[in-house]
Amino acid sequence: MNYQHPQPQPPQQSGEGKHDDDAAVTEFLASLLEYTPTIPDELVEHYLGKSGFQCPDVRLIRLVAVATQKFVAEVASDALQHCKARQASIVKDKGNKQQKVSALYCSLLTSII
Amino acid sequence: MNNGGANTQRNNSQTQERRPAVDDFGSAVSRVAVAQICENVGFESFRDSALDSFADIAVRYLRDLGKAAAFYANLAGRTECNVFDIIRALEDFNFQGFSGASVVSNCIASSGMAREIMEYVEIAGEIPFAYHLPRFPINRERRLVPSFDRMGETPPANHIPSWLPALPDPHTYRQTPMWNKRKVDPRADKIEQVRQRRKGERSLLDLQQRLSTYGPVGGAINSDYVLAENAEGTQVVGGNPFLASPLVAGDTGMPVVNPPDVPWVGPVKDNHASVLETFTPAIEAMRNPLFDDDDGDGMCKILPAERPAVRFKFRTSKKVLGHSLDLDLQSRNIGKSVPVIVCQEERNDKKRRAEYILRQSMESSQDLTQL
Repeated sequence: MNYQHPQPQPPQQSGEGKHDDDAAVTEFLASLLEYTPTIPDELVEHYLGKSGFQCPDVRLIRLVAVATQKFVAEVASDALQHCKARQASIVKDKGNKQQKVSALYCSLLTSII
Repeated sequence: MNNGGANTQRNNSQTQERRPAVDDFGSAVSRVAVAQICENVGFESFRDSALDSFADIAVRYLRDLGKAAAFYANLAGRTECNVFDIIRALEDFNFQGFSGASVVSNCIASSGMAREIMEYVEIAGEIPFAYHLPRFPINRERRLVPSFDRMGETPPANHIPSWLPALPDPHTYRQTPMWNKRKVDPRADKIEQVRQRRKGERSLLDLQQRLSTYGPVGGAINSDYVLAENAEGTQVVGGNPFLASPLVAGDTGMPVVNPPDVPWVGPVKDNHASVLETFTPAIEAMRNPLFDDDDGDGMCKILPAERPAVRFKFRTSKKVLGHSLDLDLQSRNIGKSVPVIVCQEERNDKKRRAEYILRQSMESSQDLTQL
């Protein structure tokens, strides 16, 4: 992973746009307080603490939780698509059974990640 | 959501044998969370190993996010992370890329990443976690061993400074002699004590009443008073004056008592009995006021079982003081469950009380005779 990312906030954007973006972000952060991510706050805090992430703000914790949830959901949906594709190609006697076994996790995850 | 049945690698026996790892709780919780997300996506069943790996990956992602965000914060000279630090970290970790990634210098807040997250929050339904979690890990207060200074001890040797933790007590590593304590039942003891006190007080009261009633008789000490010391009694109490025989029923207005069932067996002293010994039967009699009311059927509860059986023969021609009773204690002792051995304190206490009573009666009788 390349961590050499430029840091400073450029003043080139119009002040209005900046305010809009800022407002959007602040609004989003406020909305996070109502949204409860599936990954519990305590778990996130535990692992973030292990890696040196210091933050007393709950919203940031929620942000990280949401981001992780998004990641997991993406991987899962991709895996599901793969699974469905496999099921469609292999004709089975059981037919329309709703079971979607993600037994291909190795190949799935490596292909996704 | 059921696990892939056939391939369940974790049966009960295995979980019991496996020692608990450090992060068992965290990994278990993350498994549940990941499973919930997958269920929401559309999956209906999982293989155990797949779920484990997936949860592992999610945790690894989480930790890497935190690490990257902390890195960015440190890079900016801060120790606490920002929302911007998180967004930058997310941009780093994004696999599929996001719009605006190639644009180097733009406002972070308007980055594609942030927008994507916002969209996701709006799109994805809220799935709260299945369980309620406490804050973990729980920090336990360690109880430190106090130092020598704290304990007020001096270290046993010169080379040990006093601020070090104190050495353990010898009883922890060596077998020291122990007191063989008698089992104490405070409640039962208290009850017994109260009962005995009550008995003593009652007997005192009755004695006083009788002395006041039969005052004039007090001066005449009958030499025919007999001391009954049952052979069985002596072995237990060894010469206790309380165990002398009670007074004989007389015709001085005192109620006549039925003769005992068993003939009296014991030494008969014709000589003058001491005052104490004379009055102890009365005291004994006083201790059992209930028996006065009875017709002397004989089945009266009199003294604790440690008293020996007292048997005597009543001679009606003699003047008596006090009230004689059928003190066939032996038959009564059968039903008792009181221990045979008398407590020393109990005996001394009764002795003292008896002496006190006698003194009082002596004084009163002397007064009467002087009249």
